[in-house]
Amino acid sequence: MMKHLHDPLWRAWATLLGLGVVTTLAAALGGHLPAPVLGAVLLAVAWTKARIILARYLGLVQAPAWQRGFDAVLGAFLLLLYGIYLIPVL
Amino acid sequence: MDAEVSPTDTTGTLPGDLMIWVLIVSELLVFGAALGAFLAVRAGDVGGFLEAQDHLDRTAGALNTIVLLTSGLAAALALRAREAGLRGRARLGLGVAALLGVVFLWVKALEYSAKAAEGIGTDTHPFFTFYYLVTGFHAAHVVAGIVVLGLVAWRDSVANIENATAFWHMVDLVWVLIFPVIYLLR
Repeated sequence: MMKHLHDPLWRAWATLLGLGVVTTLAAALGGHLPAPVLGAVLLAVAWTKARIILARYLGLVQAPAWQRGFDAVLGAFLLLLYGIYLIPVL
Repeated sequence: MDAEVSPTDTTGTLPGDLMIWVLIVSELLVFGAALGAFLAVRAGDVGGFLEAQDHLDRTAGALNTIVLLTSGLAAALALRAREAGLRGRARLGLGVAALLGVVFLWVKALEYSAKAAEGIGTDTHPFFTFYYLVTGFHAAHVVAGIVVLGLVAWRDSVANIENATAFWHMVDLVWVLIFPVIYLLR
């Protein structure tokens, strides 16, 4: 088990599952959180998960410039989604 | 992130075939457009969308997230094993990844059959039109991915496995965007 914790792939998987717990908790608390906060948390966690998948599963950690590009475009896209989500709230 | 490139190499090259990356970007654009359209239509009927969303099984969606993320790990480990010349272990990893893909589809089928039992179809509400369209299109990619994983377990060159697992990770990546937007945003 300790050997696996030092393996970047297994660590990525464990982090992704941990972020899944954050998503579940945020969704469970959804009724008690203002919609803009819930939306920000859920989309930020989704972005972080996507970055880990790109970096570790898809191996973009070997190509830092491409990794930064994908991270930035995905981040901008999720910000756009957040903006559309906020339209009825504001 | 751990540094895995030389200090002088700040760009690196894309892992795998360029065409698989063109495919990945294309798929992200298609699913991204669908999710954007979903939220735009939702903005005009938030109450209706929330009511419809309450019919979804969030537990099944969360379970499927775990299944796909674990399947992605198995696929990544399979590629690493093949690169190390461990063909048997690579095939085992591909088999586990494909099997978890089948589990994903089984859970998805249970979700769909529960909706059907409630009389919910694609034209029940615009929410469900998007739900079936986006998750159905994604499930079709899972089916394609399972077939491709099976093919590269047979024709198991490093390049084949690298491209097949990249496709599989794209399916994974799309799901972590679909799940919060369609199942969880309130």
